[in-house]
Order: sequence, then C-alpha cells, then structure tokens
Amino acid sequence: MTPLVVLLNLSLCFAGFGALALSLDRHHRDALGGRVPAGRIVPQRLGGWALILLSLAAAVALEGWNFGPVQWIGALTGAALLVVALLSYRPSWLRPAALAALPLGGLLAPVVWMS
Amino acid sequence: MRQGFRQSMAWLHAWSGLVVGWILFAVFVTGTASYYRAEISRWMRPELRTVQADPSQSAERAVAFLKARMPDAAGWYIEFPKPEKPVIGVHWWKSLAGPFHQALLDPETGAPTAARDTKGGDFLYRFHFELSMPPTLGRYLVGACALVLLVALVSGIVTHRRIFADFFTFRRHARSAQRGWLDAHNVAGVLALPFHLMITYTGLVTLAPLYMPWGVQTAYKGDEIRFFTEAGMMPEMPVPVGRPGSLAPIAPIVAAATARIGEAPEGMAIYSPGDARPTVVAIFEEPHGLAHLHPQIAFDGATGAIHGEAGTARAATVTSAVMVGIHEAHFAGPVLRALFFLCGVMGAATVATGLVLWTVARAPKGAQAAGVGLALVQVLNLGTIVGMPAAIAGYFLANRLLPIGLADRAAWEIGSFFGVWGLVAVLGALRPASRRWPEALRLAGALYLAVPVVSALTTGEHLLRDTRFLGFDLAMLALGAGLIVAAHKAGRRHASARDSRRSPGMTGEEALRA
Repeated sequence: MTPLVVLLNLSLCFAGFGALALSLDRHHRDALGGRVPAGRIVPQRLGGWALILLSLAAAVALEGWNFGPVQWIGALTGAALLVVALLSYRPSWLRPAALAALPLGGLLAPVVWMS
Repeated sequence: MRQGFRQSMAWLHAWSGLVVGWILFAVFVTGTASYYRAEISRWMRPELRTVQADPSQSAERAVAFLKARMPDAAGWYIEFPKPEKPVIGVHWWKSLAGPFHQALLDPETGAPTAARDTKGGDFLYRFHFELSMPPTLGRYLVGACALVLLVALVSGIVTHRRIFADFFTFRRHARSAQRGWLDAHNVAGVLALPFHLMITYTGLVTLAPLYMPWGVQTAYKGDEIRFFTEAGMMPEMPVPVGRPGSLAPIAPIVAAATARIGEAPEGMAIYSPGDARPTVVAIFEEPHGLAHLHPQIAFDGATGAIHGEAGTARAATVTSAVMVGIHEAHFAGPVLRALFFLCGVMGAATVATGLVLWTVARAPKGAQAAGVGLALVQVLNLGTIVGMPAAIAGYFLANRLLPIGLADRAAWEIGSFFGVWGLVAVLGALRPASRRWPEALRLAGALYLAVPVVSALTTGEHLLRDTRFLGFDLAMLALGAGLIVAAHKAGRRHASARDSRRSPGMTGEEALRA
C-alpha cells in the first residue's frame, strides 16, 4: 500500500513543517498577523520536529529500512514545497491546512496498518 | 578568518556553478524526464498495442530473425515484450566495440514491426549521461560536471547563512529582483537538498567503474569479465571453442530458466551463437528491492544444460547496486515516482535560478552598458533554460509530424531536437534583452500545448476518445500552461522594472516550472 504510506508521510511532514513555519515571526505575520506569542515558539518547534520524526518512524515501520527512508525523503520535499507554496500564495490557509493534515494522518495510520 | 572562509565559499559556489550550469541543466531536465522513459517510449510508438506474448515463442521468433540477420555474431540480445514495451527487442553485434544493431519485432508474427522508427525515451535517457556525444567522452564530461556539482552543493550549504530561518522563505514581491531570485534558488535547493546530494553522488557512483577502472584492471589483468563473475554480477560462462556449430532450441532453455527462478526472464543474451559452444544467458527482472541487480543463469548453448548462476553478491557489489537502484528509482510506485520527478524539477530549477542569479547580481547599475561576458552568459542562459525544454517539445512534435516512411527517421527526430534548441537560442540572442524571456517562454509553451493537438490530428487518438495517453497529454498541457504563465510574468516584471532599471529576468516561481 505504498501510495497510502506516501500520503501518510506527506500529511505528517506537512503538519510538522506547518508548525515549524508558524513558529517563525516572518511567516506568522503573513499567515496570522503579529509576532509568534512568546510561549508558543518552543512547543511548536518541538511538535513540528516530533511530527517529522514520527513520519520517518512510520515510513520505516511500514516500509522497512530500505524503502522507508527513501520514501520519507521524497515526502519531506513534497510537503515542504507545499508549505512554501501556501505561504507565497495563500498564507492564511496554512494553519487550517496543517491542522487538517493532522487528523488525516491519524486516519490514514490505522488504515495503512491494517491493509 | 570565518568571514573570509564564507566569502571564498561564495565565490567558489558562484563560479563553479556557472561553469557547469548549462550542461547540468540539460542533464537534470533529461534525467527527470527519464523517470517516465517507458511512458515516453510508448507514446512515441502509438502503433503498438499491448499484447499477451509467450516468452518461449518470442525467443524462437527472435532467434529465427537473428539467425537470418547475423549468424556469426559475437552476441545477440533478446528483450521480451512487456506492458510498457509490447514488442520483441532484438540487438546483434559483431564486436563489443560496436556497431550495435537493433530491431523491434512483432510478437505475433516475428517480423519487424510497423511502428515508426524512433529512439523514444531512450534518446533522452542516454542524453542524460552522454549528451549525444561519443559515449565515453560524454560520460566523462557529465561526470566532471557532476563532480563540480558536488563542490557547488557543499559550498552552497556553507554559503547559505540561515538555512532554518529562511527555510520557507520565498518573497514573491521582493523589492529587489536579486532577493527574489536568491529566495527561489534557496527554496529549490534547500527543500530538495537530500535529493540533490543523493542523485549527484549516486550518479557518480553509477559511472565510477568507467572513471576509475584501474583497480579492476590491475587485479584482473585483461580478464575483466572474471571480475564481474567473481563480484556475483555475472554467471560463469562456457568458453567458445572456435569451431562452427549450432545452437540448441531456445524454447526449452527459456522454460528451464523460468522453472528455476519461478518467473519468466526479461531477456536472453546469446554469445557466439555460431560457435560449437555458444552461451545462452537468461536475465531476470531485478527482485523487489533497492538494489539494481539482475539474477542471471548461464546455459551451455549447444546442449541447453545449465552451466552456472550469478553468485551471491557481497557487500561492495550490493552497495554499488543499491546506489544505482536509488538513482534510477525502478522500485518507485507512481506516487513516489511523481515525488522524485518533482525533486528533479527542483534540481533543474536550482540550476536555472542560480544561473539567472549570477547575471542579476552582476547587472550593471544605472545607465552603464553590460559587458561582453555578462551579455554572453545572459544569452546562453536563455538558450539553455528555455531552449532545452523547447527542444524536447520539438522532439515530440517531430515524432508525430515526420513522414512514417522517412529514411533515418529516428535521426531526423533527434535533428529536430537540436534544431529547435538552436533556433530558440539564436532567436533569443537576436531579440532585445527586455523581450527575450517572455517571447521565448511563450514559444516553448506553445510548442508543448501543440503536442497533444498535433498528436490527435495525426493519429486520430485524443484524450476524449482514448485514455491510453491521457497522462502524457495532460503533462504536456500542464507544462505548456506553466510556460505561458511564466512568459506572462516575465513580461509583466519587465513592464514594472523598466523604470528602476532592474536587470532582465523572471520572478522566481517561473523558473520552478521551467
């Protein structure tokens, strides 16, 4: 079920990169207005990195050590590009899109696991 | 010292990138297209339809054809039909130094197919590492460029001051053109950095035995075939005796090979078919995995008995095979392939934006005239960045427009490729700098948009009636539309930049599409 695993990777990485981008003042200003609230920077960065690592873990668990990392790297680039495209053209969509990607990943995980 | 180091790296990055940039752009574009080599080949031979073919029967038909063509060949190679290439491919040669002859046979009759003469996706694939030059020269040149690309990648990472802070930064409306181009260059370069490093390194490893043959030469002293046998890449083979003889029937050999591995081979190699002791090697599709290693079984061609099997590859061989495998990504399903394609496009975009950035950063300020060097780089940039993609569209159009019966038709298609490339480059050079980019981009976009239309008119097949080439047609339309949008933006950029005397160029996202 490789396409589903790639989709799972993409959604986790996208949510992770979204959190990281919104922890930077420049992008926070474009997407939501104003600076990043002081207490948010650290949790958002930790959460972002955790999601990206979770995506790697999922890729390795589902596809093994040979295909997993290769697919993960592909998904990493695709997700990051999507974040940059949203920030350039529709910055206000970034947060809702990243928040939507999370449950999508949560939904995909059991489906992929069982198939 | 620190400052000095970073500055010297910036200098190294700018100049190493410029020197190899034009070739690298062509290598990236054709390499990226090669992820869809089979699909391109199939589109370029619209006469062929998928058929069910039995390998044993295909092998018999191929051998009958090859016996009539060159009974005393040094070798024959038979490729069995597969869904993406539904024909029997036959190759024959008198010496390993070439020339290599080939033909496509109809699996149902064994006669040469009626399909148009074309190199298909193989031309783009070979261009990717041979640049249409004599193979060894081209491979050396591409290897040298790849080596410099590694230097440019590493020095680029060192030069890039704020990878994390600028990770997502792409200022579309940056106040200075240079800033916008730098953002585009950084985004395309950094977001796909793992891919860029991987593809450059594995690409070099793929051709490493050619670049560094001395180890094998010294250890095996003229018997280099033995290296491949001992490394587990090739089976032990019978030695020809030099007397004429005859080949055992091929169908039982195919059946025995199939029984042994559990699936039909993808091809058969026959060495010294006219000898009293010929060799028949069954070559199988690589098993599912990253490594690019094909299982092989050698048969004694006189008796049909199994002579040997390719041994188990050990760590070094597997490492190299995995690198080749990752580079070619045969293992990738459609989604992952699309992501790799995207990464390849970003590689091309990194090179293209880097080349343009070089000129933008050196654009004369105020009323000063551009120097000869800068003008030359600007002209070469356009000729490559727009000319190369336009040439591929020209190649596809030639495939549909050239008469089917034309002598040397495949060569004419390649001629059209270079013709369109040269034409775009020369026209671009002749036009004033402010109109060059929009006009050339519009021309390239029009060529891509014309591909599905011309194809529908000449073959009678179009996306509304036959979905066989739906993906190909949609890709052409998307590329064409992207180039037209880029032309529009390049034109607008000029209109707004004329007063402030900014240097020519498009905005960043267009190069991402180019």
